[in-house]
Amino acid sequence: MAADFWASTQRRYWQFSKEQLAELRDKLDNEDKTLVQQCPLPDRRLLSHFFNTQLVKLGKRMPIRQQAIATAQVYIRRFYIKVPIRQTNPYIVMATALYLACKMEESPQHIRVVVGEASAVWSGSEHLPTKPSFADQQDVIPLDVSKLGEFEFYLISEMNSQLIVHHPYRTLQELQSTLNLAPDEISLAWSVINDHYMTDLPLLNPPHVIAVSAIFLALTLKPTQGGLQATIATAAALSNTPQLSKNTSSADNRAPDMTSNKVQNFVAWLAEGEVDIKAVVDCSQEIISLYEVLEQYKETTCKEQIAACMKKRGLV
Amino acid sequence: MDAVDDPSNPKTAARTKRFLSRRINDIADSLISPSDVLQIERQTSQPKPARATYHTPHVMDKRHPSSFQQLEKLGEGTYATVFKGRNRQTGELVALKEIHLDSEEGTPSTAIREISLMKELKHENIVSLHDVIHTENKLMLVFEYMDKDLKKFMDSRGTGGALDFITIKSFMHQLLQGIAFCHNNRVLHRDLKPQNLLINNKGQLKLADFGLARAFGIPVNTFSNEVVTLWYRAPDVLLGSRTYNTSIDIWSAGCIMAEMYTGRPLFPGTTNEDQLQKIFRLMGTPSERSWPGISQFPEYKPNFHVYATQDLRLILHQIDQYGLDLLGKMLQLRPEMRVSANEALTHVWFRDLAQLRMQQQIQNQQQVQMQQQMMAGGYGVSAYQ
Repeated sequence: MAADFWASTQRRYWQFSKEQLAELRDKLDNEDKTLVQQCPLPDRRLLSHFFNTQLVKLGKRMPIRQQAIATAQVYIRRFYIKVPIRQTNPYIVMATALYLACKMEESPQHIRVVVGEASAVWSGSEHLPTKPSFADQQDVIPLDVSKLGEFEFYLISEMNSQLIVHHPYRTLQELQSTLNLAPDEISLAWSVINDHYMTDLPLLNPPHVIAVSAIFLALTLKPTQGGLQATIATAAALSNTPQLSKNTSSADNRAPDMTSNKVQNFVAWLAEGEVDIKAVVDCSQEIISLYEVLEQYKETTCKEQIAACMKKRGLV
Repeated sequence: MDAVDDPSNPKTAARTKRFLSRRINDIADSLISPSDVLQIERQTSQPKPARATYHTPHVMDKRHPSSFQQLEKLGEGTYATVFKGRNRQTGELVALKEIHLDSEEGTPSTAIREISLMKELKHENIVSLHDVIHTENKLMLVFEYMDKDLKKFMDSRGTGGALDFITIKSFMHQLLQGIAFCHNNRVLHRDLKPQNLLINNKGQLKLADFGLARAFGIPVNTFSNEVVTLWYRAPDVLLGSRTYNTSIDIWSAGCIMAEMYTGRPLFPGTTNEDQLQKIFRLMGTPSERSWPGISQFPEYKPNFHVYATQDLRLILHQIDQYGLDLLGKMLQLRPEMRVSANEALTHVWFRDLAQLRMQQQIQNQQQVQMQQQMMAGGYGVSAYQ
């Protein structure tokens, strides 16, 4: 959140194209093909939703700001493009990422509190035993203070100490008055931003593009409940009309929501500005498809597959 | 630097792999290499199967020869010890900031803050962070080497600490450039003082010690008010303000400017109260009339001793009219009245800086020539003997 995004390490080292990202992950998968074949894991977005749910669960037990949870999710995503997920205990990764994110976002939590709460949240799942007797088993890691401290070290190092994360929340706040957004629109856009951390978008786009996409979705989703189709139509209209300011009327026909003044103003603003419209459309579509994928989400499936994977690892 | 940081860079990848190589031999205390990284396995005697948490290294790289020779201790910081060091390969001098790790808090927040900010802030007036090295129980930050801090530089001048006006102007300009860069990037330094300003032999000044710095991007209503060494602490912070902003660094810069003229700290207070009193004695005691809202501050006392505003020239005899004007703008009691770093840089006082620097350079060259002539003479005599 500090420093200028354009000169930031986030932009220089942690923004990728889809192809680059796929390549990085293929490389990781190829490092241990057998494990990948033997241990199926859910769709990345479902898995990310699982992480998100767990972090929120953990975060609720401590006074933690939303932004720390967002930062933690970015850390996890960065970490897992450098380290194969099947070789880690995701619960330790989550606890550590949140612990480190809290320090970075200036709401530090005591290490003992994080360890204690993480154990309380996850001990029932048997993935994170805290009893020393489990320590001898090689496929499980007891979470204790020194483990978290060591893992924090590892996490920092994997991220090359580049820990400052720029989030879309600020752009959202900045655009509030420019676009004359109502409180309910802001809060809707805010939750869209919260949700985008379950996708690869934070590694693919600068935060302002995501903020603009979230506003776009908030404006078009809001008037009609379940206006997903309308939004898709609007998105299609947007992507098909290079000169938006002149062609907003064509979008009107396809999407009834476009009659709203606010949306028109937004589209006009978008057309005038320097925001990459294609990127905004892509982001919006990515988020819409996230919502579709999430309908298949089952927490138990994620839990079981992670557990199976961790167990298998001991056997490999 | 950039190439080193790039995660896709093969060198970095190799370093990462090295980080993971857990069998780490004992390394001579004086030698710190990037491969001498976090020792995850405490006991090396029993080779355990790889643990689930950590990425199993597939390639065991050879240790990279790059390492640093630790030289004398330069100082003891708030949370670290700083040594002079030498890169064994290149011979380049560096400053090694050694941070001890406390198992009770993981990597100290101050260190994390400093490292992450230094990774973002690259500027000629900010000391640059070359590398971060993890060892078993230490974190080592490798900074560019600077010869002295401003305090030592002043003390070494043999003029009771006071500096000549060209140096003051040059240092102030560089200080304000460093501050402006931080502020433009939404970073507050919060602990500017002569000990945190580093000087090298080229006359460059750089900001260091970002352990207390913070980003001020997202509005947070409460800031810790336990920051900034007392002497350079702004009156609004002393009064208990927790919503301070960039102006606190400007106040510190003003105090430093005055100190360069006299060689002595401008407001050497001993306690919070004493600090305020020393400020009011010179700048005048503010009232609700001169500073609306002042009585709302937590540390405000209605019975503050009332002082009249003094002329700064009474203490700073050598200062010129323009310099005095700029100083006055920085040492405003009310934070909102203080000049910004960007504005200060355009102040008329700096207009002749380039010209003055040129003059100084010529003088220095002449001095060097004279010394060389004298040396030549000296040699001549000894040769004669």
